Amino acid sequence: MILEPIPPKILAVRRIHAAHASVLASYGADPERHTALGLVTCDQDDPTYVALDEATKHAPVDVVFARSFYAGAAHASGRLSGEILGVLAGAGPDEVEEGLRALIRCLEHDARFYRADERGEIAVFPHVISSLGTYLSREAGLPQGSSMAYLVAPPIEATIGMDAALKAAAVTAARVFPPPTETNFAAAWLAGELDACKAAATAFAEAVVEVGRRPRER
Amino acid sequence: MSVTTTLIEVLRARLGAADPLPPAPALPTIEAPPARVFPSPRTRGRFAEEASTHTTALLGIGHVGTRYATDVVLQFQAELAVAHEAVEAVLPDDWAEAQKLLPLRSQVQDHHQFLLRPDLGRRLHPDSVQLLRQKAARPVDVQPILADGLSAVACMGSGLALLGSFTRECEARGWKVGTPICAKFARVWLEDEIGEEVGAKIAAILLGERPGLGTGDGLSAYLVFEPRVGKTDGDRNMMSNIHARGTPPEQAAKRLALLAGAMMAQRTSGVRLDLSALRAELGEAAGTGYRAPQRRERLVEIAP
Repeated sequence: MILEPIPPKILAVRRIHAAHASVLASYGADPERHTALGLVTCDQDDPTYVALDEATKHAPVDVVFARSFYAGAAHASGRLSGEILGVLAGAGPDEVEEGLRALIRCLEHDARFYRADERGEIAVFPHVISSLGTYLSREAGLPQGSSMAYLVAPPIEATIGMDAALKAAAVTAARVFPPPTETNFAAAWLAGELDACKAAATAFAEAVVEVGRRPRER
Repeated sequence: MSVTTTLIEVLRARLGAADPLPPAPALPTIEAPPARVFPSPRTRGRFAEEASTHTTALLGIGHVGTRYATDVVLQFQAELAVAHEAVEAVLPDDWAEAQKLLPLRSQVQDHHQFLLRPDLGRRLHPDSVQLLRQKAARPVDVQPILADGLSAVACMGSGLALLGSFTRECEARGWKVGTPICAKFARVWLEDEIGEEVGAKIAAILLGERPGLGTGDGLSAYLVFEPRVGKTDGDRNMMSNIHARGTPPEQAAKRLALLAGAMMAQRTSGVRLDLSALRAELGEAAGTGYRAPQRRERLVEIAP
């Protein structure tokens, strides 16, 4: 079975209602505006980046910190580490709580990797964001509210898929992450109209499946 | 459904992965069987074919794959039908009188009961007891009884011939033979009561035997010395397969008379009867000379 979802596992969700100013500062928050933090770890990093961005669309929160861990969840430093630590900052606990609710909903129902081969040894993340929030629009250098295809796969699959996606639709490469990323994948953020982004994500996923089926073109 | 899950669903359907089960492998094509199936000459061995001309046993019937050939199956079904018909046949009520035999019957009411209640078939009907006391000669040396048993066909067929031959053999030895009797719905043990009533030294019941494949006309004969109600099978001597393709009635009558003679001499029957001295004579009586090979009767013919 191909293109079966691989549900992300949320490993920890914690709040700091009144964080110390030094903690706020060292994690990129602004002690003037932020007092509360929400911290999430998950075993899939890219869905979490999407979910963090999703939170900014539902609550007045900022994504102040989000970093993937080296070599991914299979080599985590502890059972709660996973692949990523994401931090939401807000003016108070209520704002952070609202943001966390949107983040968890997105991770549980929308953003996830898919199996690109029968044995589940190739994972692909062909995600379309119809409307960017504050976090990813800033990271991608795109206007808030525009559409973006967030495409991730292992190195060779991603490279061929990225090429196919760019040729399949009127999209432009907003940012490309050549391998290795922290988790040894490769990724591309493609910008365009929503329909173009959908066509690009479809072409990307199909190319990844095809590479998995014929790795040596025979 | 979010944007991404929708596009993944569409892509899965397009790649043929939407079906939760993998596609079933294609069925192999199976050739239609030939219209008629007969054994090829290769499957009929020459030796088996030759052997089959000397016996009624099922030899040299060949095979088609792992199965019987059509003609063999049809023959089997026809022979089974012969056996069924023989079991189903009922002795007509007026047959015994027409043959000038004393007509007796057991306590059995009808044919169905006859098959299900062997115990009733072993005792005489009260009317028959009266008839026997009025009409039958007594005392006698040998009391022959013709009976239907499980095959009225055999009783009406070679039964009379066997009864006649056996009576002549006995009279030739100077024994007093009882009034010829025909018993309807009779089991073997009915000879005990009849023999006891007429005070016979030996009772001999000649009755149709349980039909086998293609032998609905076989007779058996059971002899018992000093018949009394309560005698068991251990007290009897018997001969089976008395029919044209087995032991012919004339030879069987000689052999039965020899048996009766041994019973008279030793004053016993059954397992206690010592036949070791008579082995040669019994063999002679059964006919040890050349006899033309018997063939199984073809009930079904199929043009090859």
